Amino acid sequence: MVERARNGDQAAFRALYDANVDRIYRLAYRMAGQDDLARDFTQEAFLRAWQRLDQFRGDAAFSTWLHAIAVSVSLNGLRKVDRHRKRERSLENAAHIAPAKRRLDPGVRDRLEGAVDALPEIYRTVFLMHDLEGYSHGEIAETLGVAEGTSKARLFRAREKLRASLGDAMQEYA
Amino acid sequence: MSEGDMDELTRLLRDQFNPPPPTPRDEMWAVIQAGMQAGAPLGEDPQVLSLEQARARRSPPRWNRLAWAAAAAAVLGLGVGIGRVTAPPSATVAEIPVSEESEAVLRVAAREHLGRTEALLRMVRADGQAGHVDPAMGEWARVLLTQTRLYMDRPVNQDPSMHELLEDLELVLVQVVAVSEAQGVDSDRARSELSLALSGMEQREVLPRIQAVVPSGTGLAGT
Repeated sequence: MVERARNGDQAAFRALYDANVDRIYRLAYRMAGQDDLARDFTQEAFLRAWQRLDQFRGDAAFSTWLHAIAVSVSLNGLRKVDRHRKRERSLENAAHIAPAKRRLDPGVRDRLEGAVDALPEIYRTVFLMHDLEGYSHGEIAETLGVAEGTSKARLFRAREKLRASLGDAMQEYA
Repeated sequence: MSEGDMDELTRLLRDQFNPPPPTPRDEMWAVIQAGMQAGAPLGEDPQVLSLEQARARRSPPRWNRLAWAAAAAAVLGLGVGIGRVTAPPSATVAEIPVSEESEAVLRVAAREHLGRTEALLRMVRADGQAGHVDPAMGEWARVLLTQTRLYMDRPVNQDPSMHELLEDLELVLVQVVAVSEAQGVDSDRARSELSLALSGMEQREVLPRIQAVVPSGTGLAGT
């Protein structure tokens, strides 16, 4: 399929898109928190992939290569965006948000979100990928181009920081 | 915080921290496909489309819609200006003589107009599959409708194929405006208008006909 897409077959690329778009969009949305940004990042990732298919050597799975592009596009895009904007959610977006199983006090929710946003980028990315989206350390390591041990260490540090900043909030919640 | 608390925190964040909505896969594919068709051929130019270019193919940003409205006004002004400079005081619109140079300028502007109209109709078609059209597209369609009618009165319309295309575009754009007006007021009528607009686009083959006049993507260049 990749070979056909590399030869310009758009239907083959559509098949690759269908197989990967859900995970890419979900990850972009987790990182951006806004539908328009998540769409932009996803679209740009696939366009870059299409235009650079000749550079895909097949050493890793296509999905891993695509994820590496998507994470890079998302992180670069987010660096350009005002942090305040990341927390804004339009009413349209809010309508899609799945209802929480338990209604959280807005103050607690803001603290949760603020604590994740405040994580350094390298910890935050691993935390979102592993704990919120279920990627394995192997997948994260290949996507980010780091060793598996590095991924595990970053996750450990991310959790530590969240524990430190949210311990009292969790007591309030409990 | 105990391990149990940490597990609870993780579960909470999974539910609460930027929970993704359903993937808008067809809408995003429409943008990607437009970018693929407009982008550099594979293997020749590694330069990629920028975020802004990709977004422009999906929808005009708010500031861009204003810019386009300004561009529409500029085109209208150009047409009126050319007419005033070249026409005798008593001439009607149909009788206005236009120099070859002015005609060339108008042809270029008309091609750009067709490119923008194509972009709008592609978005309407993509959104229409979900049964709803972004209200912003109604405003955009109104601007394009005004421009289309302007071009129908100008020398570019002397070409029979362009004449027919502009007439069909006028009808389709009127239908898009009608969809946008009906949405939020009468959902049954909105659905019916949308169905008419989509079938009108297909039956009149407006997109392939625009593409025959305007090379893919050129209408959006620089917007």
